[in-house]
Amino acid sequence: MINQDTSSYWRKLLKLDRPIPSNVLDKYKPWQRFLRSLFYAAVNAPLHFYCPTKVYGLENLPEKPPYIIAASHGSAMDYVCVAWAMAKRREELYSLTTKLYYDNPWTRFWIKVAANAIRIDTEEDFSPALSAAAQILRAGKAVYINPEGFRTMDGKLLPFRPGVGVLAVETGVPLVPVYISETWKILPMGRIFPRPHPVSVSFGKPVKMEPYIEKKKRVQAYDVYKEVTEELKKRIMALKESLC
Amino acid sequence: MPNEQLVKEIKALVSKVIKIPEDKIDPNVNLFTDLGVDSLLGVEIFAALDKKYRIDVPEEKLRNINTLNDVIALVEELLSKSP
Repeated sequence: MINQDTSSYWRKLLKLDRPIPSNVLDKYKPWQRFLRSLFYAAVNAPLHFYCPTKVYGLENLPEKPPYIIAASHGSAMDYVCVAWAMAKRREELYSLTTKLYYDNPWTRFWIKVAANAIRIDTEEDFSPALSAAAQILRAGKAVYINPEGFRTMDGKLLPFRPGVGVLAVETGVPLVPVYISETWKILPMGRIFPRPHPVSVSFGKPVKMEPYIEKKKRVQAYDVYKEVTEELKKRIMALKESLC
Repeated sequence: MPNEQLVKEIKALVSKVIKIPEDKIDPNVNLFTDLGVDSLLGVEIFAALDKKYRIDVPEEKLRNINTLNDVIALVEELLSKSP
């Protein structure tokens, strides 16, 4: 029964059977929260007029965390667009960032303010990142993930990494598919100042994990993780097509 | 000198997990970049090893494993340390 072995091995890697570390969520000081509200107030005008941003399907967000926002990835502004679209509920959303950004005081300041960023230890190995995300979910918060891993350069969705399927199935947390249109045109890699262009942020219905958890009892866990990842990709593709 | 029986067992186990015939797995070839094994299947291999040999593969070791020979060396190392 290799499926059970894999599942329990993943639970070990994700540290799901250990107590939740008390320092899993960075504690934000009131002035940091104030800065965050200022930051999103400041991006309000550009997201209305310079890159007019429409939001669809916000009602699809689960009533309360934990959940995983799995969003398409076109540029560094994607998280800001999603968090802006979520308004006050952005406070429940956390993102993961590598030490490359977190250990630089200037970028750390901004990613903490804008993106509730949590530091992960490595840029190469995926298991510490998934484990950090799992602890945030266990602490009752939401996690923002780009399942493609890289930004698209032409608007086409890239292959999805199956780690998102592992995380969702093993934590049992719903996956909210989100499609962000054309930010790759606004702020492509290497560009510092955004181009004016409309944006759409589209939230899809959550992919609930209960049927997959049941299925995992009968078939290979590996196949279930893949299936969840494929289902997520299909839903994000459908959101993209619905905007065309 | 690796234990021949152990090498044979590990090769069979890896072949079963990644669904590639044993004779097609060159022990020095990178499983991930050359044989198309994805990261999840990599974890499947360690889950299967964990079950078969009751070894606890430290998380930090996972990122250094690329070839079948790496897998064999790691299992031998862990088995030699186990009580």
